[in-house]
Order: sequence, then structure tokens, then C-alpha cells
Amino acid sequence: MGDVAYLASLKKVTQFYIVTAFLALFIGVLIGPLQALNYGGINVYEWPVIRNLLGSYYQGLSLHGVLNALVFTQFFISGWMLYLPVRDLGMRINLRFAWFTYALMTLGLLLAAVPLLTNGATLLYTFYPPMQGDALFYIGAALMVGSSLLVVGQVVHTWLRWKRANPGKVTPLVAFMSVATWMMWALAALGIVVEVVALLIPWSLGLVGGVDPLVSKTLFWWTGHAIVYFWVLPAYISWYAFLPRQAGGRLASEPLTRLVFVMFLLSSVPVGLHHQYADPNIPNLWKNIHMFLTFLIAVPSLLTAFSVGAALEDAARARGGRGLFGWVAQLPWGNAVFSAQVLAMVSFIAGGAGGVVNASSSFSGVVHNTTWIPGHFHITVGTATTLTFMGVSLWLIPHLTGKRLPSLRLASWSVWTWFFGMMVFALGMHWQGLYGVPRRSQVSAAAVDAFGNLPLALPTLLTAVSGVILLVSAVLYFSVLFRMLLSPRVDDGEQAAPLPYSEAISPAGESLATASPLVRATEPLLALWAAALVLVVLMYGPVMARLFAEMQLVPGWRLY
Amino acid sequence: MAPRPSAPAPRLEHHSLERYEAIWFGIATLMAVLLFVAAIASFISGTYTAIEGTGGGHHITGVESGRLDPRNLAATPFAEPGLRENPDGTLEAFVVARAFAFQPATLRVPAGRPVTIHLTSADVMHGYQVTGTNINATAIPGQVTSFTTTFRRPGTLSLVCNEYCGTGHHNMVNTIVVEAPGTQNQTE
Repeated sequence: MGDVAYLASLKKVTQFYIVTAFLALFIGVLIGPLQALNYGGINVYEWPVIRNLLGSYYQGLSLHGVLNALVFTQFFISGWMLYLPVRDLGMRINLRFAWFTYALMTLGLLLAAVPLLTNGATLLYTFYPPMQGDALFYIGAALMVGSSLLVVGQVVHTWLRWKRANPGKVTPLVAFMSVATWMMWALAALGIVVEVVALLIPWSLGLVGGVDPLVSKTLFWWTGHAIVYFWVLPAYISWYAFLPRQAGGRLASEPLTRLVFVMFLLSSVPVGLHHQYADPNIPNLWKNIHMFLTFLIAVPSLLTAFSVGAALEDAARARGGRGLFGWVAQLPWGNAVFSAQVLAMVSFIAGGAGGVVNASSSFSGVVHNTTWIPGHFHITVGTATTLTFMGVSLWLIPHLTGKRLPSLRLASWSVWTWFFGMMVFALGMHWQGLYGVPRRSQVSAAAVDAFGNLPLALPTLLTAVSGVILLVSAVLYFSVLFRMLLSPRVDDGEQAAPLPYSEAISPAGESLATASPLVRATEPLLALWAAALVLVVLMYGPVMARLFAEMQLVPGWRLY
Repeated sequence: MAPRPSAPAPRLEHHSLERYEAIWFGIATLMAVLLFVAAIASFISGTYTAIEGTGGGHHITGVESGRLDPRNLAATPFAEPGLRENPDGTLEAFVVARAFAFQPATLRVPAGRPVTIHLTSADVMHGYQVTGTNINATAIPGQVTSFTTTFRRPGTLSLVCNEYCGTGHHNMVNTIVVEAPGTQNQTE
């Protein structure tokens, strides 16, 4: 295959991942306002048109969660973090394998979609047993998540081939960040893969008599917390490597960026027990150790805030910005590619701070399983990640396809309304959560009003209004996206929208021999991956061993 | 593009940036450690109700290593949910969560006395959250969740299921009545 045909095919498979991701987001996001209105006290699930489409609030919520949090993120990231390292390393990959992986992931999605759409897997996106769904749901989910491990294999293999071909060279930054993130995900995914393949599939097929819900839940959160870093690190890649250029400045420091990703590789996974403070039969010693590691994981995010802040200041000063804070006004706020990502970061400042609260055993009892939690993750994965990916799509799709963004103005409106809507939503939901309103509960249809005497009128109103704002935002964004996708190819993407690599103030250099100690220490990612595995085994081994030794199998139930 | 000033402001350079990075790294790490110290202090001083780790409910008939068979609750004290006073004067409450109600539907406890609550589920997972408090526990079939708490003020509190348990989840709301000392019927 010639160079031109190869690049076209690589772009095509990437485009398929990205478009599949946004199709999932489109459906998932349209269901979102129904949930917001529920917490606004308005039960729209009684409306005939919605009744005919969705069996229940809980089926709608299952679709919303699975499509947005699992499908959209995984497909986008698989395309994004396959394409970027391959381009950055200048390597050729086996495209047949890449297409096979995409097809398998999509097959998994379609299989899981059948029970989801027919009320056969109304389990919410945590699918805690012993609530039981159709076997097809678990099989589809296993295929979909398992396929992402094939992307890991392909990217890591490509990087290793590059290392062999380039001895003594420093891995370029975008490839480094992508490989480190994929390695982290490979460790993270082990929990859910073991849970679904070894426990839930045999159970749902009737091959074993029962399931231990606590073992399953612990394996779920092994993956379930680390997955949030799998959602946010691909956004960090853009914030570090591309955003400075898009703002007109430079990346702060390549060595420090590498350190941040190594810290995430090492400590993203052994933190999941902080989701289980309310669960029995897990020693408090281990819960506290996981809490400590969770707090440590805030450090690389705080370093990211510093680095990206410095890069933005550098950009603003290059554009003539002055003063201690006055430079902020010089940034290109009208450019949706830029503003989407910076608003995503602003959202993540609040979201990250809330995350520290959630991880604290002392606060957990107040906020656990209340609306505070969806309030939290809509400004983290729902904005920090999603709004970044929305902003990225505005240049990535022109880059991949040669099509043009039809309206920068509409794109800009969609980005700002998304940010504003999510802020209002988060305010309403965090506020209600502090009064103990439970998350993922159809409170608008409850027979007993347990919260009627509490001052919830304002947060309830905010939540309802936010659903409407976000619906407008989604309509704006998807109209821009679909118009772009359906428009003719007019440009050469390589020329019209090249990959926006940023220059660095402190580069890592090209040769390991002359590089700084930090660059040399972060280069051996395979060894660091092994160290991360050892850390996971140490931090989860004793807990899991005991849970497995004392398994208590219980029968499944379908109560939906 | 904004108009550039005649004399451009100095931009960030490598060395000062590295110094600021190191300082910020130190501050960030210190904040993480201080947070941990604060949370551990809270754990040790008991400002929140920690769930017992291993060993919860060991003394209960039919419960081993905190586990029981949800199909055979009849062989355990969960067969008769409610509050009981032990010969040594301690209070224990047995609570069963099942779709879509808690048993007992109204748990009466005396104000100001520590109560150990043992919780399990007869079917799927449920949540046990008492509004206006930081009591928040998971009810899991096959497992016993135990914690000790003291309700300080008399009054009626809502007990809300906060873990999805099926179509009737949002109607799984019961009550806890905290009674002034000396007025309660402790055997329910």
C-alpha cells in the first residue's frame, strides 16, 4: 500500500471510531434531560411519546449511562489514542488488525444494545449483581471492553518496534502520553474483564448457581475508578500537546508532562476501595490505604493545572496580554476549539476538588449515592472529558476528512451553553445531594415524599432548567457535527487542519544520552508498567484473596 | 489577533518555570498528605460512622465471617427484624432490606445510646441512608453490614434506599423514630 492510501485508511478507521462515539453520545445525551427533569420534580416518563420509547426511568438511565460514560468514551479514546501515537512515531501499523478491532468493538456494542433497548439489561451502568440481565448484555460488554485491549496491544507493539528502530532516542511526547495511558488502562480493565468473563457470563448463562455481589462490586471498582483517568488522560493529551498551539503559545515542560503520566500509570488503579466505604467485610485499613493513594493521585492533576496554566499565560503574553491576571482577556475565547477545552478545565477544577471530597472517608457518608455524585461526574467526565472531545472534534474531523466546520459561531454557542448548563446542573445536583436526595432514583414519581419539608425548591429548579439548557446545547453541537460530516470533502486535511503540535519551553530533547535525569527515568515505560502491576497486586491482593476465600454465592433477581 | 504592544512583555523562560514547578509540586504533595491526616483523624475520633471491616456480626447465630445465606434468614436473628437489648445492656438492631421496603418499617431507637445496626438484604443490593445524618451503608445479599451509631436528638428520620434495586426503588422509604430516653418500648 502506498503512503497516500495507507494514511487515508488510517484516517478512515480513526474517523469510524470517532463518529461511532458521537452517535452513541447523541442518543445518550438526548435522554439526559429526562433525568434532569426528574430531579427537577417533573416526571416526563409518563408522557405517551416517551412511554412508547423507554420502558421506565431506569431503562432510560441505563441507556444514558452506558452510552455516554462507556460507549462514547471508549470509542473516541480508541480512535484518538490509536491515531495520535501512530502519527507521532511515524510508524506503519497493520490496518487490517485495526479494522478488525473496530469491527469487534462495534459488534460488542450492538450485541449489548439488544437487551439494553428491550429492557433486558436495566441494570444501570454499574450492573451490580445479583440484579441480573440477559447474558447477551454481559457478552457484548466483554467484547466491547476486551477489544480496547487489542488497541492497547497494537499501540504498545508499535511503540516497541519504534524503540528497536530508534535506540537511544527519547519517545516523542504525544506517543509517550498515549502509550502510558494505554498501559494504565490495560491494568485497570483487568477488574471488569475478570468480573464479566469469569463471574457474570457463566452466572447469566446458568452455568453456576449464584454470584458473590461483593466480589463483583470490588472487581467493578478496580476498573471503575481507574476508568476516570482513562477518560481524562486523553483530554490531558490535548491540553498538554495541542492546546498551547491553539492558544498561540508553548507547552510548559515536556519532562514534567512525562512525570505526570508516569504518576498516573503507577497509581491510577489501586484506589478503587474509596468507592466502597459503605460496604461491609472490607478491612478499614485497606479502605484507608486506598484513600491515601487516591489523594496522591490529585498531585499529577495539580501539576497539570500548573503546566496548562503556564502554557495559557505564555500564549496570552505572546498575544500582548499584560498584568497579573489581565492576560486572561487576550486568550481566543471566541474560538470554540480553544474555549471548549479551557471551559472543560475550569469545570475540572471544581470537579477535581469535589472528587477529593468524595474520596474522603469522613465526607463519604454524607454524599455517597446522593445526587452529589452525578453532580460531580457531570463536571468531570461529562464536561472535562466530553467538552474537550467536542472541541477536539471541531478540528480533528476536518483533519481526518478534509471537510470544513460549517459554523464557528454555532459551535461556539454549543460549547458555552454546554459549560453553562453543566455548571447549573452540577450546582442543583450537589445542593440536593447535601440534603440526602438519592442518586438514580425516580424521585419525581415517588409515592412518599421524604424530602418535602426540606428547602429544595431552588436546587430543584436549577436542575430542571439545566436539562433544558443542555438540550439546546446538544441540538446546536450535533447540528454542527452532522452538517460537517454530511458536507463534501473540500480540503486536504494535512494542509487545512494539520496536527497542532506545540513547541515546548522546556523540551525533553531527542537523545536519551543528553537528556535530563527525569526524562531518562520516565523513558522505560515497560518497567514502570511492571512496577504498576506490582503495586496493584500489593494493594488489592490481600483484599481480593480474602473476598474470594469467603465467597457467598447468592441467586440472581430481575426486579425491573 | 490582539494588537501587540510596542515592547512585548517578557515571556516565561525555562529556569524560572522549573523553579515554580518544583515549589508547586511540593505544595501539591503537602496538601495531599494533610488531607489524609485530616481524614484519618476523623476516622480515629469517630466523627463518622465507619462500617466494621472483618469481624462484623461474628457473634450472630447463622453468620460466619460476616456472611450468611439470604435464602435462610430464618436461621438467623434477621428472621425477627428490630431492636433488642442484650443482657449486658447493649443495643442491637437487625434490619432486612428487600424490594421495596426495610424491615422493620419503623425502627424505634432511644436517643443518646449507642446502637449497633446489623443490615442485610434478602434479594438485591440496597442502600441504607438516614437523611440528616452521615449514616450511609450498603445492604448486600449474603453479607452482614454492621456499624455502631448514636442518635442524639429525638425525632422522626427518613430511611431511604439509595442503591438501585428495581422498579419500586424510589418508593423504598421507611422511618426511624428516635425516642426520648425512658419513653421507648425497647422490644418493639
